Amino acid sequence: MKLQTKINIRFLAITFLIFSVAGVLFYFALGRVVDQNIREMLKSRKAYITLNLQQNTPISESIESPDHTIFIKRTEKTEQYIVFSDTMAYDQEEKELIPFRKMTFSVHSGGQHYEVILLQSLLESEDLQMIIFSFMAALFGIVLLALFFLNRWLSNKAWNPFFKSLSVLGSWKIGENQAVNFDRTGISEFDQLNSMLENMMQKIQTDFVNLKEFTENASHEIQTPLAIIKSKLEMVLQDKTLNDQHYQRIRAAFESAIRLSKLNEALLLLSKIENQQFVEVAEVNMCQLIQSRLEYLEELFELKQIEVSVQLDQKVVFILNPLLAEILVNNLLSNALRHNIEKGKIIISSENQEITISNTGAGAPMDVSRLFRRFSKQTKASESNGLGLAIAHEICKNYNLQLSYLYISRMHCMTISKKSQISTNLHVNFD
Amino acid sequence: MKILVIEDEVALCETIVAYLEEEGYRCEQAGTVELGSEKVNLYEYDCMLVDIGLPDGSGLSLIRELKKCHPETGIIIISARNSMDDKISGLDLGADDYLTKPFHLPELNSRIKSLLRRRKFEGKQELVIDKITILPENRQVLINGEPLQLTRKEFDLLMFFVSNRGRVLTKESIAEHLWGDFADSSDSFDFVYSHIKNLRRKLIERSGTDYFQNVYGTGYTFIA
Repeated sequence: MKLQTKINIRFLAITFLIFSVAGVLFYFALGRVVDQNIREMLKSRKAYITLNLQQNTPISESIESPDHTIFIKRTEKTEQYIVFSDTMAYDQEEKELIPFRKMTFSVHSGGQHYEVILLQSLLESEDLQMIIFSFMAALFGIVLLALFFLNRWLSNKAWNPFFKSLSVLGSWKIGENQAVNFDRTGISEFDQLNSMLENMMQKIQTDFVNLKEFTENASHEIQTPLAIIKSKLEMVLQDKTLNDQHYQRIRAAFESAIRLSKLNEALLLLSKIENQQFVEVAEVNMCQLIQSRLEYLEELFELKQIEVSVQLDQKVVFILNPLLAEILVNNLLSNALRHNIEKGKIIISSENQEITISNTGAGAPMDVSRLFRRFSKQTKASESNGLGLAIAHEICKNYNLQLSYLYISRMHCMTISKKSQISTNLHVNFD
Repeated sequence: MKILVIEDEVALCETIVAYLEEEGYRCEQAGTVELGSEKVNLYEYDCMLVDIGLPDGSGLSLIRELKKCHPETGIIIISARNSMDDKISGLDLGADDYLTKPFHLPELNSRIKSLLRRRKFEGKQELVIDKITILPENRQVLINGEPLQLTRKEFDLLMFFVSNRGRVLTKESIAEHLWGDFADSSDSFDFVYSHIKNLRRKLIERSGTDYFQNVYGTGYTFIA
């Protein structure tokens, strides 16, 4: 939920609550005032009638005023009383029962006791009350609506710099050397936020550059001694006077130096990908890339008598760094080759913007949770450094691709698909 | 043939120079951009090996300088930075080749030879080794004047061995020469073996001479 909406809803809810409570109170207060008024009115009429009765003794037993609001009758009751009550009476004009306030009281005059009933119609006052109340309610409604829009407009205006900053942040990419600048907003909180962000991004940028330099320098520093070790050993190997035992020992050292340098290269590559130092992207035709790599590997397949079936008729295009695309394909293909068995099979297919490389291999399916982790070797192939799949996985992760592993029909299947798309069609054709 | 090696790591520089001098090249060394620039401006070389990361600047500037005064000199970049940017800008500036450290010395040697062949003889040079004649430009091999049919890989292999005559070539360097990145697969060693077996057989059949020598557990030497 948007912050603005949230604030607006709360604000409106509270205003509505206050208005409702105020409305109820107002309604009752209005009722009380009207009621008070009617009592006063009845009391003044009572005084008038009492005075009249005391001056003029009525002739008949009971008198009724023409508008049916005053009834006077003689009574035997001697006690004094005033009773208010509400009643309904039929009104000739309105042709319906309407509420009345009834005042019953006794008058003592000329040795006679009279009971007087006064009726006061409540219709008008109730109408009045309703009118006032509806007017107020309408007013409340309008005020509420006005407040809602006003609030929205105001918060839109107030939060505008924030959203601007947000969009600047959104378009900022680490590693791309772009100057970050936020507009002056004139609002101290936002200016403070922006200046803090600016400092932070500057810091991140310099840290990033430093890190990049560090990894590059580290690579340089490690590769150079390794190059020296390798070349010196290579020079020693040229020595014709060495005996077999010497050769064997130097070879062991030479092999280790090569492994170390490959490991260093792989780790460096992995950290470079993780640091997103491969900024350049392009549309890469994966099918074409795989085809060209396959030609390169042809002989290696032949040697292991591996049957390669290629079904790359459907064009698959991924958007990623071309160099990394090549590394990705290399890693997956050499995995399929390395972990294959003699006279095995490799099936490469493209379908629905997915590339699947399946290969026969050692029996059991691999543990998916550990598969893409660094240095997690699940086979005994000693020349593998356990980084190939980690690198492939990292490359996919960086370009919104998904690398998934399945074990179908005794084949290990690696599938690269676009992340947004859920792979529904994951079957592999076997002939 | 004169080669200028610009590399700040003395030990590596010396090894390269030692290897190349055994091949009959005359080598000069420089460890900094300043020294390199001086030599580039003063003398003429057939080939320059240049490291990109030098203590006082980038080797790329030396390429620019060399291109201005001696454009005919061949340039090979040797760099530890396996970065596309350097590679592309280096090649854009006119470098002929790019080698990433750490590399195998026979590989460097083979690249220099191939570069010099292309530069100096426009590829038209004939290589004659004993009974074998190689026409690099046409990728053709003649034995006693008769053409010998070789596969692409076998030809590459032969060129690699011929470039490094008398040297022990390790299985690793051969595999890397033939398959680059895929070379770390141990299967490729088996393939090196089978390729060499085939090449050896073809050469023996036609010339009656075995040019290859096994070096215990290490690799092979081409002797002629």
